Amino acid sequence: MTGPISGPDELSKREQKALESLLFRLADDEFVLAERYTEWQIYAPTLESDLALANIAQDEFGHARLWYDLLGELGYTEPDLIWERPPEQWQHSTLVELSFPDGGWADTIVRGYLYDTAEQLRLEALADSSYLPLADRIEKVLLEERYHRQHAGNWLERLASGEGHDRVVAAVERLFPHAMSLFAPGPHEDNITEFGFRSESLQELRRAWLDTVIPTLDSLSVPAPEPAEVVRPDATGRDGSHTDDWFELYDAFTHTYTELENPTPVRLRGEGA
Amino acid sequence: MIWEVFRQEKKGDYHKHCGNVHAPDREMALMFAEIQHARRMHANSLWVVPQAEIAEVDAEEASFGGTTDKAFRWAMTYNDIDASFAQEVADSEKEQEKAAKTREAQI
Repeated sequence: MTGPISGPDELSKREQKALESLLFRLADDEFVLAERYTEWQIYAPTLESDLALANIAQDEFGHARLWYDLLGELGYTEPDLIWERPPEQWQHSTLVELSFPDGGWADTIVRGYLYDTAEQLRLEALADSSYLPLADRIEKVLLEERYHRQHAGNWLERLASGEGHDRVVAAVERLFPHAMSLFAPGPHEDNITEFGFRSESLQELRRAWLDTVIPTLDSLSVPAPEPAEVVRPDATGRDGSHTDDWFELYDAFTHTYTELENPTPVRLRGEGA
Repeated sequence: MIWEVFRQEKKGDYHKHCGNVHAPDREMALMFAEIQHARRMHANSLWVVPQAEIAEVDAEEASFGGTTDKAFRWAMTYNDIDASFAQEVADSEKEQEKAAKTREAQI
C-alpha cells in the first residue's frame, strides 16, 4: 500500500501499468454493455422499458467516458482507446459482449442484474482508491448505479414470478459462467491491490457477489449454479480473449469510423466541443 | 395499465400533470415516471395515480362558469360612497365615550 497519489505525474512505471489495467477493465465493461443495450432502441417490449434502457445505456457511456478520460490523462487518445484499438486488446468481461438472443428481454434483465450487482461491489472497493482522481469519481457513479440495480431488480422479480420464469432460468444458465469472468484476474491484479488502487481483491469481490446473487436467485426459484462446478468459457475477456459475438460488435461500432476514413470524432461537452 | 404522472418541481409547489406511463403496478409506475420525468431534470416529488382512479367532469356535462348574469356578486355598488352621512354615528360614539369616562371618575 502506497500513500495517496494525486495525479499521473506521481505514478511509477509499475503503478501506471497496474492502474491502466484496472481502468481498461472498468471502462471497457461499461462501454461494451452500453453498446449492447442500445440495440434495444425501438425494439424493447414497451415504450417505457425502451426509454429506461436507453437511459441506463446513456449512464454507462457516461461512466465509460469518466474512466477513459483518466486513461487520456495517462497519454491515450480517443482513437487509441476506442476507434483504433484492436479488438483483441479490449479487456471487458465476456458477459457484456454476448449478443442478445432474439427477443431476449429476460437475457437483458438477468445480464443487467448480474453486472450491476458486481459493479456496485467493485465501485465501493474503489471509493478509497489510493489514486485520487479515480476515488473522486466514484460517488457520483454509485448514485446512478442505484437506478440500474433498481431497474434490473424490479424486472427480474416480475419476470421470474410470471410467465417469464423459464426464460429467466435459461438466461441465468447461459450468462452465469460468463458473469464469473467479471472476477477473472488480469496480469496486474496483485499490484492493483498492493498499490491500494482497489481495496478488495477479486476473490473477495466474487465472494460478496455470490453472497448477494445466489440467495436472490434462490428466492425467485431460479436454480443458481454451484460456483465451483461452473464450466468456464474458454474466453474470459480480461486477457483479450473474446467470443465471436465481440468481434462482430466491434466491427459494427467501428464501422462508421472506418468508413469515413478515421475522422476525428465529434465530442459533445468538454474540450474542443 | 396507465398511470398519470404529476411532478412537483420545488417543495411547496403544486404537483402538475406531466404525462403518463404504462406499468403493471405502482412500483414499476414510479420507476418509469422517475426515468421519464425526473432523472434528467429537476424535481422534488412525483405522484403516480392509476388513470381509472381519476374522476372527471367536463364542459359538455357541466355549465362551468354559470349561464346567467351574476355581476351583482361583485359588490362594486358600494365602492363610491359619500361617507359624510356617518357623522351622526361618530357623534354618538363620542358621547358614549364621554359618558363612560364620567362613570369611571365617579367610582
